[in-house]
Amino acid sequence: MSDAIIFEKLTKYYGDFLALDGLTLRVEEGANVGLLGPNGAGKSTTLKILCALIRPTSGKAYLDGIDVATQPEQALSHIGAIIETPEFYTYMTPVDNLSYFGRLRGMKGENLTKRIKEVIELVKLEDWSKVKIEKFSRGMKQRLALAQTLLHDPPILILDEPGLGLDPRGVVEFREIISSVGKNKTLFFASHQLSEVALICDKVAVIGEGKLLAYDSTKELEKKYQSLEDAYLKLTGGNVE
Amino acid sequence: MSDFEKLGIVVQFEFLKHVRRKRLYIILGIALFVEALVLILVPLLMTNGFPKDVLAMAALLTVGPSLAVIGAVFFAGDAIAGEYESKTGFLLFINPIKRVILWTGKYLASFLATAALIVFSYIIIMIALLAIYQQVPVELLKSFGLCLLYGGAVISVTFLFSAISKGSMGATVMTLLFIFVICGILQSVLLATGKPYWFILSSSGDAITAVISDMNRLIASLGIDTSHFGPMMENLKPLDIGLSIWGMIIYLVPCFIASLWISRRRQLS
Repeated sequence: MSDAIIFEKLTKYYGDFLALDGLTLRVEEGANVGLLGPNGAGKSTTLKILCALIRPTSGKAYLDGIDVATQPEQALSHIGAIIETPEFYTYMTPVDNLSYFGRLRGMKGENLTKRIKEVIELVKLEDWSKVKIEKFSRGMKQRLALAQTLLHDPPILILDEPGLGLDPRGVVEFREIISSVGKNKTLFFASHQLSEVALICDKVAVIGEGKLLAYDSTKELEKKYQSLEDAYLKLTGGNVE
Repeated sequence: MSDFEKLGIVVQFEFLKHVRRKRLYIILGIALFVEALVLILVPLLMTNGFPKDVLAMAALLTVGPSLAVIGAVFFAGDAIAGEYESKTGFLLFINPIKRVILWTGKYLASFLATAALIVFSYIIIMIALLAIYQQVPVELLKSFGLCLLYGGAVISVTFLFSAISKGSMGATVMTLLFIFVICGILQSVLLATGKPYWFILSSSGDAITAVISDMNRLIASLGIDTSHFGPMMENLKPLDIGLSIWGMIIYLVPCFIASLWISRRRQLS
């Protein structure tokens, strides 16, 4: 099986601050990988480089074998992503926004209309599909962001704290959707919620100060450190009672 | 899907955004209000009612479309900076589209929205002139063309400020300061000292009116005493419309290209 995501010696400086320090990681096609690390570890920077939002200082990132830096359009056609807390055009409706993003990805006509309806129903926003987004709560925007991610049925999903702003029921529903669609896709999922990562992902990459500290299956890490929480704390320098 | 098809999609959506926003209607309202003000105040303040010269009245009414062009600043101010400031870029930039196509589409949509306002303003002028003078001078068509070109130049300048600004408000304020304050001061100084000033953006905008009636003819038609204006009137030569067109092009093309170049390099961190 080939690698869907590859990072090769990825380094990123913000001025003098070293955010990523030669990160090398390979995510197999179809794997569901959780990216864990404390604040400032480089998780968001990693995902932003992967989505061509920022350029690495050195090193390479590949999506399905395509170099993100040199062929961003081709690489981005393979992904659906939620980065940080995305904002939609507030004076437009969910249908307007999804229609725009769908069309930019080559979807059109009846197929696009049908698919928009499907993803809106999937994230349970059907009663809000024609309401301006300025009236939406943070959790509702996060649901819509997930709908946008799944709209074009991409083979790779990149999610940065997708549960942020959701109420407990929303978190459960989100997990169920991601777990369900993640069965047939490569999932690269950054989160602080260890329990969510444990429930969704079969592999975990732990990073700290821009370096890869561990990359193994969730089961192996739990076996080695007793729990994912202990593994996380030990690897990132925390104390475990 | 070709880049051209993607460009069409961006233009459609961005234009729809302008239509859905209140600012389009606010600018339209202001332009209409100004036209109405001219139509009410001119006969009230002049002893003989409307000026006899249709060109003088047409020139006075071009204040409406000129204001409509300034509306371009409000359409284009957030085109680039807004995507970074409001974080909508996190959704938009992850789509498989070249940034150059994205910004060009936004530029064209801003231009279309501005052009719609300009067309509307000129329709009002035509109706007013037909009602008062039963004629529409052909110079109005030239003025319309220059107004569209001025709109394109103003949008280009705004795009440049939007590309370098962190926020859309900053881009909008900087553009307005540039056009009204910096250009205004430079134009006054150059005019007072008898030096050429065709390359100042605000003076190029004056061509919208000057192509209908030059300043001396307009002042004469309105019966204004120019003796107290001093050397300013002596130095006031009719605007060279050809040079004014170049004056707009030197802002339109380089500013747009510079904004594309800067925006392509900008990162969303």
